[in-house]
Amino acid sequence: MDELNLRFIIAAYSVSWLVILGYLMRLKRKGSQARADYDQISKETAGDGPR
Amino acid sequence: MPQTELSRESRAAAPPRTSAFFGFIAFAALIAAQVFSILTSPAEADMGHLQKIMYVHVPAAWMAFISFFVVLVFSVRYLWKKRENDDLLAASAAEVGATFTGLTLMLGMIWGRPAWGVWWVWDARLTSTLVLFLIFVGYLALRAFVDDAEQRARWSAAVGAIGAINVPIVYMSVKWWRTLHQPQSSPSTLDPAYTMGLRLNAIALLLVTIYFIRKRYEIARLERAVEHLAEAAAMGGK
Repeated sequence: MDELNLRFIIAAYSVSWLVILGYLMRLKRKGSQARADYDQISKETAGDGPR
Repeated sequence: MPQTELSRESRAAAPPRTSAFFGFIAFAALIAAQVFSILTSPAEADMGHLQKIMYVHVPAAWMAFISFFVVLVFSVRYLWKKRENDDLLAASAAEVGATFTGLTLMLGMIWGRPAWGVWWVWDARLTSTLVLFLIFVGYLALRAFVDDAEQRARWSAAVGAIGAINVPIVYMSVKWWRTLHQPQSSPSTLDPAYTMGLRLNAIALLLVTIYFIRKRYEIARLERAVEHLAEAAAMGGK
């Protein structure tokens, strides 16, 4: 029973970190993309662009 | 000055970057809190060490509630003042809240299987939490499918404000109805051996939640700034 419980505890903490780190990676990816889009369109529209 | 009266240049300005150091502190605090609570909490009389799942399940639920409270406040504020940044902040909190609600449901299922013998039952707490999750998945889908920024903001503010009303229903469900789910776990209802671990995990996950919402808000403002610049370019202005 204890061994079975241990499996569920490990599963719970693994799922928690997968979701939290997965969301962090998503934010990093979206953030980099948004920053790159912003820099590009700023150059295209205003040369130096509003910063 | 209302947001709608701001100059095109200020609406298209890049927001300040969210502090990476704050994010590092938040994640370090979460790791420390989890290690502390796993190592120091004794086995519970009925559930044994399975009780340790509480340190991730309960704070995740609380962070979902806090996020949806932010959605409620800034959705109502958007409907009142029509400030674009209120809409972006509400949407950022909704995404984080939906993530934590999904996590709460998954952790509840992992707890339920060994504790109750089933992954899922249609009891009031589980069902109302699932409804809350689906409302905010719908909220995010709505934002993805409506192109007009003002219409998107108005509709999602209405859905966000109405959806957040489900939070007290979820919270009170274990009191209002007979449920398989136990009453709320909080420092006031717990054995003192478990309260410090729960408090530390809740504070650490709150820091992570604040970091997530701030970061998502920064991205949302950048995306809107790009839209404003593209509109300006399309109209031939700078």
